[in-house]
Amino acid sequence: MGFWQGYFEYWDYWWPQLAIAAGNTIAITFLSYIFAVVLGIILAFGRLSKIRYIPGLCRAYIEFIRGIPALALLFLIYFGLVPLGIIVDSFSAAVIGLGMNQGAYLAEVFRGGIEALHKGQREAALSVGMTPAKAYRHIIMPQAVRIVLPPLLNMLIILLKDSSICSLISTPELMLRAKDLASMSFLPMHLYLLVGVMYFMMAFPLSMVARRVEAHMARGRK
Amino acid sequence: MSFDFTQAIKFTVVLLRGAVMTVEITACSLVVAIILGIFMAIIKTSRFRTVRFFVAVYIEIFRDVPALTMLFILYFGLAYVGIKIEPFPAAVIGLGLIGGAILTEVFRSGLDALHFGQKDAALAVGMTPMMAMRYIILPQAIRITLPPVGNYAIGLLKDTAIVSAIAAPEIMFWARNLVTSTFQTTLVYVLAAMIYFCMSFPLAQVVNKLEEKRRSWQ
Repeated sequence: MGFWQGYFEYWDYWWPQLAIAAGNTIAITFLSYIFAVVLGIILAFGRLSKIRYIPGLCRAYIEFIRGIPALALLFLIYFGLVPLGIIVDSFSAAVIGLGMNQGAYLAEVFRGGIEALHKGQREAALSVGMTPAKAYRHIIMPQAVRIVLPPLLNMLIILLKDSSICSLISTPELMLRAKDLASMSFLPMHLYLLVGVMYFMMAFPLSMVARRVEAHMARGRK
Repeated sequence: MSFDFTQAIKFTVVLLRGAVMTVEITACSLVVAIILGIFMAIIKTSRFRTVRFFVAVYIEIFRDVPALTMLFILYFGLAYVGIKIEPFPAAVIGLGLIGGAILTEVFRSGLDALHFGQKDAALAVGMTPMMAMRYIILPQAIRITLPPVGNYAIGLLKDTAIVSAIAAPEIMFWARNLVTSTFQTTLVYVLAAMIYFCMSFPLAQVVNKLEEKRRSWQ
């Protein structure tokens, strides 16, 4: 088995480096996720705001970001800001870029969640004698969670996979490490397959959970 | 840094040449993805458990592995094994395979949404199977699946940006080339982003319209 020989020979050398890089991938994923959620909430409330210009500005941001590839945004942040005197290191650029990108998508999700909650629902709950806390617990929350939770989980998988393109702005994550090791050992197939399996191992449990939740939430909805 | 208008135009012309390639890659991958998606969605209804299992494995693999990793396996990995693929076909195969996994679910839910009783009803009122397909099943199936396929196409258009990493000469590839020769990073990448936006924004408006129409119809 000539092919497997490569893995046996280099495993001790590859594995520690790839494990650290995978840790970075997870760190980028989580940090940009938090950034995206916060940004998404701000933008969602901004779009529903009564203050002049704010909804328009938020809409413009959302439409523009959704119209360009994440890679273009990453390049703009990492390379494009340098002539303007703003130098961002590749890790921060990755977190900011991915967060800005997915935040625009989340804003629409959150807006959907907020708008789906008709004001009358709360009034109805209160008028049948529920306390505000009870109305919140039994009427408002279940509906909001149902709308928002599945896309929130899916976004985590999307971010995990999208973090791979940060290798193109030389963020020290899994894909970049694989590329470096591949050019050092001249075993590209070994490394990219291995890295593909590693991404799969990280994303598969998440997508299992996401699908479960989605199926659960969709019950009795039609 | 001063803004040079003629230079901006020169850059735009170069980037637009890449845009043609971007559209070509998007269109070809979309066709591959749709064919694969329909095929897999039909196979998924198979009686045989092993067949369904293989479709599930296919979907899972291509949903959970990043597109960039797939492209690198196809382009650099296969070259190492002795199978040399050009960047363009590698991009189309890679993005098409991933798209097929996404669209399988779309077409599957499209088929599910149509009650099988509809076909029986159409046959019962004297339609031939062809007529039932033409007048009852297809119009509904297309209306259900068109908005998600449209959304996928917009996502695909933007995903083609990563194909620059395997040296397919599309927008981002030319943008990076321009940057290495002129160092005008801000201008070049802003222009590249604008070109993507000008392509995907109108598409997004059309898909929104379709979605609204579908909602009012349901």
